[in-house]
Amino acid sequence: MTATINDRLLGQPFDRLDGVLKATGAAPYPSDVSIPGQAHAVLLQSPIGAGRIRAIDSTAAEAAPGVVAVITHLNSPALGEAPMTGLGGPPRNPFTDDRVLHYGQNVAVVVAERREQAMAAALLVDVDYEVSAPILDMDDPRAAVENNAWGLETHDGDVEAALAGAQVTYDGTFRIAPETNNPIGLFTTVAEWDGDRLTIHDSTQWPMMVRASLAAVFGVPEAGVRVLVPYLGGGFGNGLRTWPHTILTALAARMLGRPVKLTLTRPQMFTSLGHRAQSRQRLRLGVGGDGRMLAMDHDATASLAAEETNFSAIVIGSPEAYATPNVATHDRQVRLNIPNPSFMRAPGHAEANFAIESALDELSYQLGIDPVELRLINHADVHPRSGLPWSSNALRECLTVGAEQFGWNDRNPEPQSMRDGNKLIGYGMAGVTFGWYAAPCTATITMDSAGSVIVRAAATDIGTGTYTVAAQLTADLLGLSMDDVTVKIGDSDLPPAPQSGGSGLAVALAAAVQSGAAKLIEALIDAVGDSSPLRGKTVDEVVAENGGLRLRDDADAGETFREILGRHGLDHLTAEGTSDLAAAAKNAKMATAPAFAARFVEITIDEDLGLLRVKRLLSVVDGGRLLNAKTARSQIIGGAVMGIGMAMFEDTIYDQDTGRIANATFGDYLVPVNADVPDLDVVFVGEPDRFSPTGVKGLGEVGVVGVAAAIANAVYHATGRRMRSLPITIDQLM
Amino acid sequence: MAEFEYLRPDDVSGAVATVTADPDAAFLAGGTTQLDLMLKDRIIAPTTLVDITRLPLHGITGGSDRIRVGALTTMEELAADERVVLHAPFIREALLLGASTQLRNMATIGGNILQRTRCRYFRDPMVAACNKREPGSGCAAVTGAARMHAILGAGPNCIALHASDVCVPLMALDTVVQIQGADGERSVPLAEFYTLPGDRPDIENVLRHGEIVTAIDIPLLPAGMNSGYLKVRDRVSYEFALTSAAAAVWVVDGRIADVRIALGGVGTIPWRAPEAEQSLRGQRAGTRAFRAAAEAAIHDTFTVPGTQFKVELVKRTLVRILQTVSGVTS
Ligand SMILES: Cc1cc2nc3c(=O)[nH]c(=O)nc-3n(C[C@H](O)[C@H](O)[C@H](O)COP(=O)(O)OP(=O)(O)OC[C@H]3O[C@@H](n4cnc5c(N)ncnc54)[C@H](O)[C@@H]3O)c2cc1C
Ligand code: SF4
Repeated sequence: MTATINDRLLGQPFDRLDGVLKATGAAPYPSDVSIPGQAHAVLLQSPIGAGRIRAIDSTAAEAAPGVVAVITHLNSPALGEAPMTGLGGPPRNPFTDDRVLHYGQNVAVVVAERREQAMAAALLVDVDYEVSAPILDMDDPRAAVENNAWGLETHDGDVEAALAGAQVTYDGTFRIAPETNNPIGLFTTVAEWDGDRLTIHDSTQWPMMVRASLAAVFGVPEAGVRVLVPYLGGGFGNGLRTWPHTILTALAARMLGRPVKLTLTRPQMFTSLGHRAQSRQRLRLGVGGDGRMLAMDHDATASLAAEETNFSAIVIGSPEAYATPNVATHDRQVRLNIPNPSFMRAPGHAEANFAIESALDELSYQLGIDPVELRLINHADVHPRSGLPWSSNALRECLTVGAEQFGWNDRNPEPQSMRDGNKLIGYGMAGVTFGWYAAPCTATITMDSAGSVIVRAAATDIGTGTYTVAAQLTADLLGLSMDDVTVKIGDSDLPPAPQSGGSGLAVALAAAVQSGAAKLIEALIDAVGDSSPLRGKTVDEVVAENGGLRLRDDADAGETFREILGRHGLDHLTAEGTSDLAAAAKNAKMATAPAFAARFVEITIDEDLGLLRVKRLLSVVDGGRLLNAKTARSQIIGGAVMGIGMAMFEDTIYDQDTGRIANATFGDYLVPVNADVPDLDVVFVGEPDRFSPTGVKGLGEVGVVGVAAAIANAVYHATGRRMRSLPITIDQLM
Repeated sequence: MAEFEYLRPDDVSGAVATVTADPDAAFLAGGTTQLDLMLKDRIIAPTTLVDITRLPLHGITGGSDRIRVGALTTMEELAADERVVLHAPFIREALLLGASTQLRNMATIGGNILQRTRCRYFRDPMVAACNKREPGSGCAAVTGAARMHAILGAGPNCIALHASDVCVPLMALDTVVQIQGADGERSVPLAEFYTLPGDRPDIENVLRHGEIVTAIDIPLLPAGMNSGYLKVRDRVSYEFALTSAAAAVWVVDGRIADVRIALGGVGTIPWRAPEAEQSLRGQRAGTRAFRAAAEAAIHDTFTVPGTQFKVELVKRTLVRILQTVSGVTS
């Protein structure tokens, strides 16, 4: 029994419902929230990379104008441990002891009547450190190594034998600089206690997780903790954990008995939240003369903070990328004295793809096989590990449609063969197989006597369009107009929903809304009178249309919602929908398909000056059924811009003596500006997914994947020089 | 942010008197450097801020051979000036390649020539070693992540870059700075205005505390002299120069009759290149001569690993702009 998607509204390129609110400043981001009587907290962070705090003298700071308190590990109560989540363990608690494990670790919270006063006073806190030498290099022999920490490695077949027997082998090492997520919205927490009840406005992608974490940390009932985030100024994965500054804000509010607000500064965004780990990957491939991949050995090493965990393995998607019978993956994390590497858009996938798709490009030249053709030869027609058919897979179409639209075959494939004046021209491409993910989700739909509905779920809209697509889907399923639907999300008191993360929310929420719509229709049918033509019908026998229900096979036999509810004197009717797609997947007899894509780029390089510029970037994407063509496209182009940043700019630089981040401002940490981004073409191909109840697949992260490899491959085509290290900068190219 | 007093006088001598009398007072023009240092970076904390934007120091006067630019003229205003467009277009190019439109509408020319270095070690109070901020404390950049730093006029005490773009063509044009102090007025050529870091990186120019820049005088280019500014950077826009070059060339019958050259992105002060000019005068315009000029321009460099690439990049930058401006690419 399902509610039918009518394709009347679903997929239409509606503008985001929150667009005008955001453009006019009317959408309250966490940093816009102020509570009467609030004090302002500012973090004092460690200027050393490793060591101990010998003493803290906060006398001068406490005496400074407006200062309410200086809170440190010396004068604050012990905190409880936040629970594990579906995404691994919590970050190390703040103020655990006197040890400093990385530059920028929180050492004190200075609270004052005004933020400026707190900032001024923070400079007056005198901390006496015992400094030791931080470990900052992944090759430092002192660094502790975690092997296969999450059991995510693969060992299929006999890789060494297959490598030894292969006609052509490949062995290359790739490096990617640490990247920092840097959403524009500075992460903010505003906390207010009422006894053991906590209301907290927090920059998060996962209100339910923050609720559970804070309840455990403060030892209070979870039901009394309410997390609010109706709007978020971006997250890119940084809102998937409860970070120390959130806990410290709640701690300060609890200790002081008044509301406290804290907003990170831009430099603190580099030290207080997660970032994409620095990585080194060695990739070995064995290929037959026909181009078929026989063996893959993918060995990845990523940075990890000294006493943190990062539930992430670069190699997680490697075995699924192509039809390779023998696969071994190795996942290694090296502990350094750095801020906490965590999730950044397409964690693992973005990094692994750079290695695999660069290697295939190199092999295409060695084998004399066109790069597109090489990917088609190795296409995984069924899931490479389970052998099950995919629930959808249009990767072939991504590749062929992309090649066609881009004019791939018009190029001269010879490196250094294409020029425009003193600029070299390069074409490059990459294939993309993302990873599938979904978590359980609930959503309620409440219809009022006028036939309008409110959809509720503790989900978030991190700028991706959740409000809009939830409204579209609900209106489509219930035969309503967009104006009839209100979406309430961003509040942990709402029905439990998963994070905006892992490209999993839209799929899970859409399935829950669809289930809720079916149940609502069922409840409406139950409510009709004996004389109603709808009496006793099943959901499948009716159609929701024009604000009411009618029989599927008789357009004139039906009733409006208003009539049904009015007759019964019901002022509203609520149905709860759920989805648990991961559980359903176990019995699905098919491989749950992620999004697939192909990227094609044209670049130019001014050889003398080393200037690399992207001229065209085409993304062809299989995202299943689109909820909204515009927001879907926006996800892909936003990802593409981030991919350009990964390829050409992003690099979090550590000072070698302290681990200080040497470029922790937007003036120094480069991301693409408009002028770096050409017109971005996006083409969607494929069919609604057979497993996903709504046919929808996640699109939030795939946009970033493949761009770096396509650009690096284009650089090779232009110059004959292979770039195995990101970002690719002027000093490497000149 | 420490509290400060904010004053907004409307006469120049009053503003000068106030700041001269108070060692902890500072001028505020467009604020795009000053407020960053106070509010975001928190490395300076003047107790009195004298807003000079109401002083009568706005506007541009003069003719086609020489203009006087009031210190409060904004970057956008100077870029739009017809005399600049016609007689020194590389000033306009350098201005419009700098910052962003919003910033250029706030930022003044006086503030631009007095902008402080972007060195991230200077602009971070968590860093202890910075001779410019704290004389004698050392230089963290020399052993740190230095990419946006200088290779000319630099030394182990300081490698901070003077990052202004417009100062590069201004240097090439023999611009003169007009200064008013408590004791009267004086003129200083821009070439003598800045001081090399030496062992006092904290002293950046000859301005005495309380002296105000009232205007700059820019001699414009004679007819027939082409000019151009090339800025090389990672991003297409909104970034300071890794290297840049301003060149004005007068080619007569294939030979270089006159030439002005200055370099940016490489000097602790905006860098005039007289040796390059000299090596080109009378030469046949062409890549060989341009390359020889570039070699002549770059000597006595002080590099750290992160800035090493600039030695070659700035030469190529200069060759390219000379090719562009002279129209001779072979
Ligand atoms: C994000 C960003 C990007 C930028 N990009 C570029 C770029 O690409 N290229 C470039 O060239 N510049 C760039 N700049 C620098 C910018 O041009 C300068 O900040 C600006 O020109 C300073 O002018 P202002 O009027 O804002 O000066 P203020 O910030 O008000 O003052 C700067 C300094 O000069 C002093 N001062 C100002 N006027 C006078 C005067 N008349 N007499 C005496 N002292 C005075 C002040 O006391 C202060 O010390 C950028 C700045 C920012 C913030
Ligand atoms: S380069 Fe100059 S400004 Fe930068 S840290 Fe060294 S002394 Fe300070």
